[in-house]
Amino acid sequence: MTDEPNVCAIRGLRSIPGAARRITPMPTILADPRLPISFTEPEGVMLKMQHLSKVYRTHMVETHALRDFSIHVRDGEFVAVTGPSGSGKTTFLNIAGLLEEFTSGEFWLDGVAVSGLNDNARSKLRNEKIGFIFQGFNLIPDLNLFDNVDVPLRYRGYNAAERRKRIEESLARVGLSSRMKHYPSELSGGQQQRVAIARALAGSPRLLMADEPTGNLDSLMARGVMELLEEINRAGTTIIMVTHDPELAARAQRNVHVMDGQVTDFDAEPKLRMQSRDADIEEAVV
Amino acid sequence: MEIRPIISALMRSKVAMILIGLQVALTLAIVCNSLFIISQRFERMQRPSGMNETDTFYFGSSGFGRGYDARATQKADLQLLRQLPGVAAVTPAWSVPLSGGGWDSGISLQPRQKTATADSAIYIVDDAAVNTFGTHLIAGRDFKPEEVVDTAFGGSLHPAVVIVTKALADKLFPAGDAVGKQIYMDQDPPTSTIIGVVDRLQHMRAESSSIEYSTLVPAYMPYDNFTRYLVRTEPGRRDEVMKSVEQKLAESNRNRIVSKMRTLEQTRRDAYADDRAMMIILGTVIVALLTITALGIVGMASFWVAQRTKQIGTRRALGATRFDILRYFLTENFVITTLGLLVGGALTYVLSLWLLTHTDGAKLLPWYYVPIGFACLWLLGQIAVLGPATRASRVPPAVATRSV
Repeated sequence: MTDEPNVCAIRGLRSIPGAARRITPMPTILADPRLPISFTEPEGVMLKMQHLSKVYRTHMVETHALRDFSIHVRDGEFVAVTGPSGSGKTTFLNIAGLLEEFTSGEFWLDGVAVSGLNDNARSKLRNEKIGFIFQGFNLIPDLNLFDNVDVPLRYRGYNAAERRKRIEESLARVGLSSRMKHYPSELSGGQQQRVAIARALAGSPRLLMADEPTGNLDSLMARGVMELLEEINRAGTTIIMVTHDPELAARAQRNVHVMDGQVTDFDAEPKLRMQSRDADIEEAVV
Repeated sequence: MEIRPIISALMRSKVAMILIGLQVALTLAIVCNSLFIISQRFERMQRPSGMNETDTFYFGSSGFGRGYDARATQKADLQLLRQLPGVAAVTPAWSVPLSGGGWDSGISLQPRQKTATADSAIYIVDDAAVNTFGTHLIAGRDFKPEEVVDTAFGGSLHPAVVIVTKALADKLFPAGDAVGKQIYMDQDPPTSTIIGVVDRLQHMRAESSSIEYSTLVPAYMPYDNFTRYLVRTEPGRRDEVMKSVEQKLAESNRNRIVSKMRTLEQTRRDAYADDRAMMIILGTVIVALLTITALGIVGMASFWVAQRTKQIGTRRALGATRFDILRYFLTENFVITTLGLLVGGALTYVLSLWLLTHTDGAKLLPWYYVPIGFACLWLLGQIAVLGPATRASRVPPAVATRSV
């Protein structure tokens, strides 16, 4: 642990083979998301964590899953979070998705300070702002596709007509509108993940959290799911994807590498869409 | 409410739903009918005998030895008993209400009538009977001493005058003018004249269908050397008088045994012992059934919570609050219980009809037992599922991202 986050980041870079490939020519001080300069445009920030830590405690052991973890994700970005098993990326996903509380630090989600929220408020915020795509799809086996997609919409409190419209639209978007009455067990893995995506999209979330979305799929299906995620992102939805797969990560606009509960490597700026912002950032620094 | 998706999900795992539903259905049918039987038994046990049961007791006196004069002893005993401190009234009585033993007879309105108009308990007593029983004359008059006549044991009873209970009077003469009317005992002439009507005096057999029909016959009818006395004491002095009676009678005549001294309260307890036992057995069955049903619901709900931990976590991740999860399991239980209750409602009446045709004195279950049973079993189901549902609501949303 160090009080100099930039030094830490540089150390991290050296330790990761190929990391330099993803470094942009931007000055490091601008790239570090832990610095206040990153939030000169708070209205454009979807997710911001500062000096966040997560400690799991038992009677005997204290495990620091995240420490001094800082990150920001801009509105509309597609960020891939990579790291080896046990690095803390799932803990990050859980905290970022409001599935778990953090021990200390600060966390804003779409401008809302999360730390003061109780369980109910977190559930409501999760329901309104975030869509989830899980590695194992997490569809409810006893519900047909229509009812599966309906689950988050019921918790949102939409009326029946609104729910039906959204369900039909989202299933059509993933190409499964003809199979609404089918059960998950009657679908292939790729189709199940598409249903999960439809479920995640039905509530029009501002942020999509994807946990190894292609982890249980063969390469063909994985490609299809990835293309769908890219399409969703192009339509304006922010996506944070946790993955082991460097090929998938490479397709994201920005990569964040996590190791030992800390961000050790990151792309300073989105590869494609942030060109126009570079000038603004430079201007801000100057 | 999520009733439709809950039903469609349940339809995918029918076996568990059917098992719990059937358990609920059977429980409703058995509990409703058992409760009705208990209430009927309880109602029977609460019927007043027409007597002052708190202050009344009775006993037998059996003479032995050569030269024992039963008639003279009875006269002497009555005189002695009526003078004892605390004694309010005494009558010789062949039998006592609810005691289980005694005579009954058909009462007819016509000579040699094929079927008696009513069956009645017969109490062979003296002119102090109405006062001793503690019943109340509501019409006519009491017996006079000269109306108490000697009658041989085993012969036909043809008293000149009788006193009947109001229920019997109404049965015989529905117009309400029984006093002064003639009746036939044992279908044979001569007739007996009803001279009085008392408000109530029950049959000696609690299970009799003619429980409220009784006739007081003024007679002295010896049975060997045995006489039974009924004693009513001043309020609160029964136990004290019972002791002194035994002692005084033993001292007054050593050629007899005073026996079977019992209070009317003991007699009532014995008379309804079977009913009480039935109530206890049925009560135990009800408690056992409800417990088993509740445990079944707890077990099934706990199993489902354990089986669906990941699903619950996913629901939480998708925005369900803890209360949403709690409500989901409560609603699911409500749906299963309701389906079971709908089947159980029909089953309840099938069982009631079966009891009606196979049991003496059974009545059709009153309609309101079923909705009350519904409410109770709904409540039981909700209470039973509350523990597992609360556990489910505590499943953290992070479970959704766990791979195992």
